Amino acid sequence: MPLLSFIARRLGYSILVLLGLSIVIFVIARIMPGDPARMAVGMMAPQWVVDRLREQMHLNQSLPVQYVFWLRDALHGDFGLSLVTQRPVMSDIVEFFPASLELVLAAGLLAAVGGIGLGVLSARHKDTWIDSVVRVFSYTGVVTPSFVFAILFVLLFGWVLRAFPVIGRLSEQVAAPPVVTGLMTVDSLLAGRLDAFVDALHHLVLPALALAMGSIAQESRITRASMADNLGRDYITAARALGVSERVVMGRFLLKPSLIPTVSILGLDIASLFSIAFLVELIFNWPGLARYGLSAMLHKDLNAISAVILVLGAVFALVNIVVDLIVAGLDPRIRLAATRSQ
Amino acid sequence: MRLKSSIVLALLGAGLLLLSVPAFAAGPTTLRVTFAWPNVIDPAIGNDYASSSSIVNLYDTLVFPNAKGGVDPWLATSWNVSADGRTYTFHLRSGVRFHDGTLLKASDVVASYNRLSTIGRGFAYLLTPNIAEVRAPNARTVVITLKEPSALFLPSLVRLYVADEALIKKNTKAEGPYGANGDYGTTWLQTHDAGSGPYMVKEFPLEQYLLMAKNTRWWGKFNPNAADTVRFIGTTEGVTVRTLMQNKQLEITDQWQSFEAYQALEKMDGVKVAALPSMTSFYYMVNTKKAPTDDLHFRLAMEYAFDYDAAVGLEWPGTKQMVGPVPASLAGHDPNVLVYKRDLDKAKAELAQSTYAGSLDQNPVVVQWVSEVPDEEKYALLFQSNMADVGIKVNVVKVPWLSLVENTSKLSSSPNIATIYVSSDLPEAGLMLKQRYSSSTAGTWQQNEWLQDKSLDDQINDALGTLSEPARFAKYAKIQEELVGLAPSVWIYDQIEKHAYRTNVDWPATRGETSLIQGYAFFAAAIGVTGP
Repeated sequence: MPLLSFIARRLGYSILVLLGLSIVIFVIARIMPGDPARMAVGMMAPQWVVDRLREQMHLNQSLPVQYVFWLRDALHGDFGLSLVTQRPVMSDIVEFFPASLELVLAAGLLAAVGGIGLGVLSARHKDTWIDSVVRVFSYTGVVTPSFVFAILFVLLFGWVLRAFPVIGRLSEQVAAPPVVTGLMTVDSLLAGRLDAFVDALHHLVLPALALAMGSIAQESRITRASMADNLGRDYITAARALGVSERVVMGRFLLKPSLIPTVSILGLDIASLFSIAFLVELIFNWPGLARYGLSAMLHKDLNAISAVILVLGAVFALVNIVVDLIVAGLDPRIRLAATRSQ
Repeated sequence: MRLKSSIVLALLGAGLLLLSVPAFAAGPTTLRVTFAWPNVIDPAIGNDYASSSSIVNLYDTLVFPNAKGGVDPWLATSWNVSADGRTYTFHLRSGVRFHDGTLLKASDVVASYNRLSTIGRGFAYLLTPNIAEVRAPNARTVVITLKEPSALFLPSLVRLYVADEALIKKNTKAEGPYGANGDYGTTWLQTHDAGSGPYMVKEFPLEQYLLMAKNTRWWGKFNPNAADTVRFIGTTEGVTVRTLMQNKQLEITDQWQSFEAYQALEKMDGVKVAALPSMTSFYYMVNTKKAPTDDLHFRLAMEYAFDYDAAVGLEWPGTKQMVGPVPASLAGHDPNVLVYKRDLDKAKAELAQSTYAGSLDQNPVVVQWVSEVPDEEKYALLFQSNMADVGIKVNVVKVPWLSLVENTSKLSSSPNIATIYVSSDLPEAGLMLKQRYSSSTAGTWQQNEWLQDKSLDDQINDALGTLSEPARFAKYAKIQEELVGLAPSVWIYDQIEKHAYRTNVDWPATRGETSLIQGYAFFAAAIGVTGP
């Protein structure tokens, strides 16, 4: 029960945050220069076409009235038409979100495995050359934007080694599997298409790795610091003195509590990957939501901008809740605190 | 422990090896081109570069533009014009079929026009203002009546794409913004086509690529090596494009690569850079109603103070200074018109006659350049430096495109100079003269000059209504001469369109054998692709 109450409370906060976010993005989108209706129909379209669209978009109403119309429709899953793609924004999101989700999940997996693995390696070999190498890698990874890695990977693995494809989700000669989830790898497996699965994975490696590099570096730093901090604790010394094997000390007594800050940051990192993926998606011609959002902003596609930011906000809120639950699972003190506050 | 680690590493290595098996090279009959997205393939909506290039492959038109600036018979095998020049009767080719096998009829032409004019987008602005009626007296005859005789009517028909009326009706949603026509098939036509052109949509995952397959039943003549499939790819990312080209996974690049990128592409084996002429020119639009540029002598001083050779030198080799107010590639362009060259003595003499000669410091010239086109800054700085040589103070301001559009919509907010690239939709000088200098476009981004000269308007309209080509071109020449005397713009250069392409591509555009109208350089039926 306390857990359900905790989730309900967090969901309530999230809804308030999303409502606030919706107001902010709605206002910002509408005070940008340029008439969105004119932008949508093109500079040469006659004025009556612009006027017709303004009417359809309620642009002749006051901002609060426009917002009410927008909110009412959004609550029904209707974000209006994208001015660029000319399709319902919801259809676009349904089409583009899975591509970003697949990319971000793959990047998140790499970040978790790579970041924690490197952090453990570094902590275990603290103050040796291995530690130094990992730390240099971490600092470099943290300060280098993902698009730089994307470009480097394209040049190295696409151009020089010709080992990986540099655009799209499937090769030209591979037929796409039927869409079930929108995740190409999953849909390939569901269709029993091993060739498509391998090809989709082949296409996923470079963009996911480019996107994950910053997070790998960040997670490895945090894991190392946390483990190094806990390494000197009395209970570790006691465990070692009792003859507990080093593997158990590292894995059970040291790693688990040390993962709490890593998991917290990893969750936020994964959520933020959605919003920073646009350049990686552009470079790899990956048809994801971040790229769609960027295109919407460049074309002042108000409906799409609002919807994309709201979806990303919702993802962020959801991931936060999940992270809180994981952290509570890892740390009994947090569970206890949640129970006491009831 | 070590054994386990070794096994894990070996498995990881094997996995990576499996993943790194290179994709098979594309077949020899695929034409792949990169474009700036989005790509809207609905013939009543799309009108930008990628969209036009796609639509010309999917749909047929009544007439087809040729390289000389005129039109050739296409779906219409012949036509008659009434004595008053207002009624055109087109006789349609028989046996033409849409991609779904339906016979193309005159009623499809009428329906396509009605759909275009109702939606009001795409290239409707070229056609609808002067068309009074389109009707089909029988299955193979289309009669179009104009409000006024117009020399631009026939060329503008290359933008009336004929779509399958029945197929669109079948795929129309009842609900939509077009009244009884519902959504007019717009939703379906975003990812499908209803045309009869040489290629048809095979796959269109939005935001990624458009894959078109050869229409083997097409009535026209293909290049013997025309590609079996055409893939337009939605990316212009420099490193991606270069890698694709290097890996022979791309035949032709987009035109948006950097100067340095083209230099690098040109050095690749089997790759050339084509510099295609275009119908686009780079203008400094000078406000003739705002101080100090409202003074003719001041404007002439600027014309003589600007270093055109230096400006052209900043561009790709082969770029030329504009000769007069319209791109040199347009039919009816006057090559004999006065061309301003940098001459500081003349500039100073003109400036001395200006009413602002004694107050140059109090009357700076505001130049607004478009922030989305970073290259414009170097021209703005060159202009600033050149003007300083004669004492004219220039304030260079970077503004987003949308802000510049808003600024130029009102005289009060229009800058002294707006730096804008303008393209002509049709390959004839008259349209460019109208869109750049007639009063109808003052207050739009196409004309920061605010000329509002009734005499000029009358001359332009008169020329456009003159059906005899020699007489019309003579009138265009007179207008161009007059405009040069008024110095309402600094005419910088005619833009060339750069594309890197593989030498196994037989591309007529590189030989000047295709129309300059946007999109027709990528009419894939005429392009040959040989070998891998």
